[in-house]
Amino acid sequence: MSYIEVKELSYSYNNKTNVLEDISINIEKGEWIAILGHNGSGKSTLAKALVGLLEPATGEIFIDGTLLNEDSAFEVRKKIGIVFQNPDNQFVGVTVRDDIAFGMENLCVPREEMLEKIKFFAKKVNMLDSLDKEPANLSGGQKQRVAIAGILAMQSDIIIFDEATSMLDPFSREELVKYIKTLHKDGLTIIMITHEINEALLADRILVMNKGKVYAFEETEVIMKKKEVFTDNHLELPVALDLANSLEENESHKEIRDKLWEYALIK
Amino acid sequence: MKNIIIGQYIPGKGLFYRLDPRTKIVSVLFIMIAVFLLQTIEQLLIALGVAIIMLLIGRISIIKVLKGLKPILVLLIFTFIFQIMLNREGVMIVNQEMQLTIFTALFLLLALIIWRILSRYIRYRFLLFLAFVASIFLILVYVDFGYPLVNSFSFKIYEQGLRMSAFVVVRLLIIITLSTVLTLTTKPTDLTQGLEKLMHPLKKIGFDSESFALIISISLRYIPTIFDEANKIMLAQASRGADFSEGKLKDKLKQVISLLVPMFIIAFMRSEELANAMESRNFVPGEKRTRIYELVFSYRDVLATTISVLILAGAIVLKVI
Repeated sequence: MSYIEVKELSYSYNNKTNVLEDISINIEKGEWIAILGHNGSGKSTLAKALVGLLEPATGEIFIDGTLLNEDSAFEVRKKIGIVFQNPDNQFVGVTVRDDIAFGMENLCVPREEMLEKIKFFAKKVNMLDSLDKEPANLSGGQKQRVAIAGILAMQSDIIIFDEATSMLDPFSREELVKYIKTLHKDGLTIIMITHEINEALLADRILVMNKGKVYAFEETEVIMKKKEVFTDNHLELPVALDLANSLEENESHKEIRDKLWEYALIK
Repeated sequence: MKNIIIGQYIPGKGLFYRLDPRTKIVSVLFIMIAVFLLQTIEQLLIALGVAIIMLLIGRISIIKVLKGLKPILVLLIFTFIFQIMLNREGVMIVNQEMQLTIFTALFLLLALIIWRILSRYIRYRFLLFLAFVASIFLILVYVDFGYPLVNSFSFKIYEQGLRMSAFVVVRLLIIITLSTVLTLTTKPTDLTQGLEKLMHPLKKIGFDSESFALIISISLRYIPTIFDEANKIMLAQASRGADFSEGKLKDKLKQVISLLVPMFIIAFMRSEELANAMESRNFVPGEKRTRIYELVFSYRDVLATTISVLILAGAIVLKVI
């Protein structure tokens, strides 16, 4: 059994049109998944369903073998955390320290242990000097890092980023992606919803969604070669890959193509 | 808007800062009750002296406390004047004839116009207002020529009236000083946590003090964010020609609505996202949670509570005697 299993999941907001339709995916432990798709393709709805914020109409979600439902949601959410798009709307605490503590307080972690963990995880996201700062004095990127620390402190090993970089400036965005890379190295499972194709390239596998359905779910290298997946979904390939894909398949182009691939994927 | 100050808390290290918020709330409450029990102006003046000595011991700047009085200054002065005018007991101290003639009315109108014009350009509007009130008195007393509009009347101050007005004003002064000391030296978060702990026993009658405290702390946390938002919306509306500072009252109201509607919509969207974020981090309303901050009750708190209880007891004894 895979670490995350979604079986024939459907969801609709008002019983009319399905926002999610018959979604079945498996995600392994330690994988980095990117979810791409146009606005209204159901990406965020899928993310909310994965943390049990929405109750699916039909279908099942298993996280580490546990069926997600109202009774198990509390246990499941210890394993899976989510960082939302707007840094301001998920900052619960009055200070950084309070916010990192919030999840642990809910889990009834003893105070001494909490204080230790706050220090440890604040250091991990480089916020140790700002523990007493208020959210109004933090940048968007800093707030997102605090959100990550809060999830890590709850001992979650799956983190969903629901367009978590989209409201950040380019510099903070790059920095946040750097932290996500280290989290992945530490063995966490990453699910990253994004509009940025360059961020998606970092993932092991890419899930492309279209009108609530799974359009494609394949290894990054494989999916990037399928030009039609991108044109069909109004997604833009990075220039280098676009170039590589447009070159004719013959021996003389092979070296250039490989170089272009290398360039795009390392970036 | 980044450095908006919520409440009046000013970081410091005096005696009152080191007290547990619960102690401070309870003590202030006790002392306030005691102040209400006091009967004479002499007792109150002693209490005021004690309050000032406490400020000095706690190294709290008196200027800051006085600034805290600013919003209720008008109220204080009106109470004072009303008490003087309405209470007619005891020995008469002042008996001043006054006239309202056609010239008096003219002068009054002139004073009003001058006050209105000057108040646009002068910074200390309150002093100007006082000068205006004083000039009304002077005009009523000294302008005694011209055709009388009403019969001349006299303005009388009685001893008891003076005592009562001083009594009420000093009592208000002490109470405001006490509450200012509380808010100056206690962080809003500590204050809410203190209240939460104090109201905990109310759980038996169905009052959930923890949710109450959480609501307050989240409100405090979002005040700067929402201010920021209001600012942005105002700029956006201004860039489309809205003018928030001028125009008739009707126009101003319209502008305020154009600000309030988007603010409410955004606040609702925010609250939904916040609820999602809280739920995804395993928050269950009403469930038991551990707390990162612990209130510590030390010997200082025992001392402070004892003193406030003694003050209350003393006041009760005085009242009974």
